[in-house]
Amino acid sequence: MRGTRSRTRRGFLRGLGLGAAWLLAAPWRARAATPPPVTPRIEVPKDPAAAIKSVIGDAKPTKGKVALDMPYITETGTSVSVAVKVDSPMTEADHVTAIHLFADGNPVPRVASYQLGPRAGRAEVATRIRLARSQRVIAIAQMSDGRFWSDTREINVAQGACVDDTEGTLGSGSRSPL
Amino acid sequence: MSEVVSRVGVPRKAKQGEIIEIRTVITHPMESGQRINEVGERVPRKIINRFVCSYNGVEVFAADWFPAITANPYLTFYTVVTESGTITFAWVDDDGTVYTASAPIEVT
Amino acid sequence: MTKLKLDRRRFLGSAAAVGGGFALGWTVPGTLEAFAQKQVGDAGSEVGIWVVIHPDDTTVVRIARSEMGQGTLTGLAQLVADELDADWSKVRTEFVAPEENLAKKRAWGDMSTGGSRGIRTSVDYVRKGGAAARMMLVAAAAQQWRVPAGECVAADSVITHATSGRKLRYGQVAAAAAKLETPKDVPLKDPKDWKIIGKGVKRLDTAEKLNGSLVYAIDVKLPGMLNAAIAQCPVFGGTVKSFDAAKIKAMPGVHSVVPVGENAVAVVADTWWHAKTALDKLPITWDEGEHATVSDATIAEFVKSGLDGPQAALGQQQGDVDAALAGAAKTVEAVYGTPFLNHATMEPMNCTAKVDGDKCEIWVATQNGDAALAAAAEAIKIKPENVKVHKTLLGSGFGRRGMTDYVRQAVVIAKQVPGKPVKMIWSREEDMQHGFYRPITQCQLKGGLDADGKLVALHARLAGQSILASVAPSRMDNGVDKLAFQGWLADELGYMAVPNLRIDMGVRNTHVPVGFWRGVNHNQNAVYMECFIDELAHAAGKDPLEFRRAIMTKNPKHLAVLNAVAEKAGWGTPLPEGVHRGICQNGGFGSYCAAVAEVSVDAKGKLKVHRIVAGIDCGYAVNPEQVARQMEGSFAFGLGASYFGRNTVKDGRIVEANFDTYEVARMADVPKIEAHVLASGGFWGGVGEPTIAVCTPAVLNAYFAATGKRLRTLPLSQHGVV
Repeated sequence: MRGTRSRTRRGFLRGLGLGAAWLLAAPWRARAATPPPVTPRIEVPKDPAAAIKSVIGDAKPTKGKVALDMPYITETGTSVSVAVKVDSPMTEADHVTAIHLFADGNPVPRVASYQLGPRAGRAEVATRIRLARSQRVIAIAQMSDGRFWSDTREINVAQGACVDDTEGTLGSGSRSPL
Repeated sequence: MSEVVSRVGVPRKAKQGEIIEIRTVITHPMESGQRINEVGERVPRKIINRFVCSYNGVEVFAADWFPAITANPYLTFYTVVTESGTITFAWVDDDGTVYTASAPIEVT
Repeated sequence: MTKLKLDRRRFLGSAAAVGGGFALGWTVPGTLEAFAQKQVGDAGSEVGIWVVIHPDDTTVVRIARSEMGQGTLTGLAQLVADELDADWSKVRTEFVAPEENLAKKRAWGDMSTGGSRGIRTSVDYVRKGGAAARMMLVAAAAQQWRVPAGECVAADSVITHATSGRKLRYGQVAAAAAKLETPKDVPLKDPKDWKIIGKGVKRLDTAEKLNGSLVYAIDVKLPGMLNAAIAQCPVFGGTVKSFDAAKIKAMPGVHSVVPVGENAVAVVADTWWHAKTALDKLPITWDEGEHATVSDATIAEFVKSGLDGPQAALGQQQGDVDAALAGAAKTVEAVYGTPFLNHATMEPMNCTAKVDGDKCEIWVATQNGDAALAAAAEAIKIKPENVKVHKTLLGSGFGRRGMTDYVRQAVVIAKQVPGKPVKMIWSREEDMQHGFYRPITQCQLKGGLDADGKLVALHARLAGQSILASVAPSRMDNGVDKLAFQGWLADELGYMAVPNLRIDMGVRNTHVPVGFWRGVNHNQNAVYMECFIDELAHAAGKDPLEFRRAIMTKNPKHLAVLNAVAEKAGWGTPLPEGVHRGICQNGGFGSYCAAVAEVSVDAKGKLKVHRIVAGIDCGYAVNPEQVARQMEGSFAFGLGASYFGRNTVKDGRIVEANFDTYEVARMADVPKIEAHVLASGGFWGGVGEPTIAVCTPAVLNAYFAATGKRLRTLPLSQHGVV
């Protein structure tokens, strides 16, 4: 393994909370391969319900099987840890094919889609996301039997004092896009 | 953009059939398209929009990313250990650049 | 009286004025005992989440917002107590702990205190909290008497059964009331029935400030506590390259030297003085970054380019201002400018933190308890549920304490000193040079008059820094910072009758961090607008009040306040020799304000302000006395800033370090202020900030009337007039 180290880079990675074990492995300098043709950007509707529909069609997910773990409160929303676990045997016969994440108060309401299969072993992902304001995050699991399951979590962005949060989707009586 | 560095955490050895956790991170500003520059203009979107993990050439996990993924995107997921070989990772930028990394895995 | 809760399980009542009738009391100020309230016999009963009533009728109102001298604490208590029909003399307050708010999914709502919103965005639900508690108390009494609740009347903490004359005190039925379900349908009183709301009752937090018993965050003392002094990179955006702890480790009292994030270093010692003394001797090498050559001159040029540049963010427009200006009988043009300003809070930034593994406790003066909790959790990557926040009263906020930089720092320091509480205090120099400044701006205004001297075209082009781009980019409206146009958008501008109008801005963001300074962009925008309107009035040969009246026909509320203040000031009546008047008005934060200043200028050119008559229409005024005090206080703050306030930049850093170079108003600088609360009812307007916008333009316009000279840049000290 090879790659260059720099003090600030180490500091940055330590700052990510990845722990000392990561520092034992030399970092890979990510190599740029020959660029393939630029794939067209996936367009996301601005309306959260439409954004969800653009992914799962008219399907109505059932609440359950999905556990979305994230804090209830964040100060700025610039980096919120999110973990999604889906209850599934992940066998050939019965597995999660995709996990979709949405944020109903973001300018682009779609956050990510993860494609899985039996080789994943566990239908679990963890990542960090940005949230523009207090809102709901929705995780939808798409199963091999064609069914959809979901979990929704509210999160409050408690920023500052002088920034008004009344445009946020929480507390303004807005309905969940699901 | 300054040098892009990725780091992946894959156990070097694992048992056949074991489900291992894979941790990944890559330095990238993930310019969301919402940020304002010094003259009040929006800095255009430039993010990594696709992530693919392959195990001896077979895609075992992939993701589509949108601007809500933070800068220096961090992602952990799982995969089943099937045979010895190489697990490769690819991050695709909006501009088409592909960043790659790989890690060996030995089945015990 | 306020209270800081130590034990999250028991909500305890707090002391009356020191020497008053309860067994509770603050003991030695600044010690742990000050936080440990002794119980008074039985604990009180929670009657709904907003009210706790003790057997002796002591009524504790829970307060979610912060108190920084603006009187919101007392006002919120009045709102609850009136609907509760409580005896005001029995009312005390206690802060809701942010962790309790989190645990109950923000049942107490938004804790953020800024934007002059503390009262006006709480009025509905806090009044309902008080009303619901009253309904429960009445229901409990009625149950005890086995009579219909409708036959019972509540007043002054006593429930009377109308038919039989039987009475029960709140304290007697509180325990039973606490067991009842909170009613869903809670009607509120008609404003004409208010007994406490609308009255100038004495504040609940004055006594402890006067007798020194109040514990501010900077006063906190805990057993085993260490103290930390911090140095941040003098150039914004720079980082720490290295520091040599070995050189100071042996200095008296030094416990440790720790990095704080990427841009700061702190020394932890037994006393703050030892920490600061050692910190001053600590060799630190900074990487000053790319902004180390920025200066006032480069900033001024950069900002000015926003006046001329074609690309501009639009605030609002109507008609065709370019054509109207081209065809106007007379045009007037002027350029104004105002500097960066520090908040200069009386109490410098500080925070005490204790980190034990994955748990954290902080003692802090903050304008947002929820944000402080979340910031502490995020700073050291622990769950928000594991953070406890002790909120104190603030030794001023003005918007500075809505930022959480100092909270995060204290927590990061404490994590490196595990198990021990650490109080981090910024020196005044650190505070002055690491603020979130009022943004620097310039403004070019162009006005067109018709043949009758009426304003028919107005173009105001701002140039300068956007607060939202720096602090909360996600709040921007499609990339446009609408806050930059405060006072000038259709919902606030008092001159919507001007047929051709454009308000736009060339954004120019410097590397200097900016934030919300009391009044925010209304401060400079009102100076620009109201002084330029004055210039136009004089160009038209019209009286400044008459000139305004002619273009305020679409803004009756603005006009009503302007007329009322003009009348109270005797506008148009003769003045003593050498004394001249200036007038202005502004709409902001949901309220309408106006002011008339009377000034004279002596032979040496020195300005003296004799009198300012001012008024605010804030709709309902919960406490008119307090509203008047806020007007006066805002003028002391605003005039001082306009006279002397300026933060300059050299080599990428702020030059002014203390009050010797960043002066504030002194007693002699603040004239007699006649503050009129012109509450017209029917709406809830803000109070903390709207009035600050009108003190300076009134004085500047009066200065022109006295001298014929137009001052277009602040501070006034640079013109030699103060």
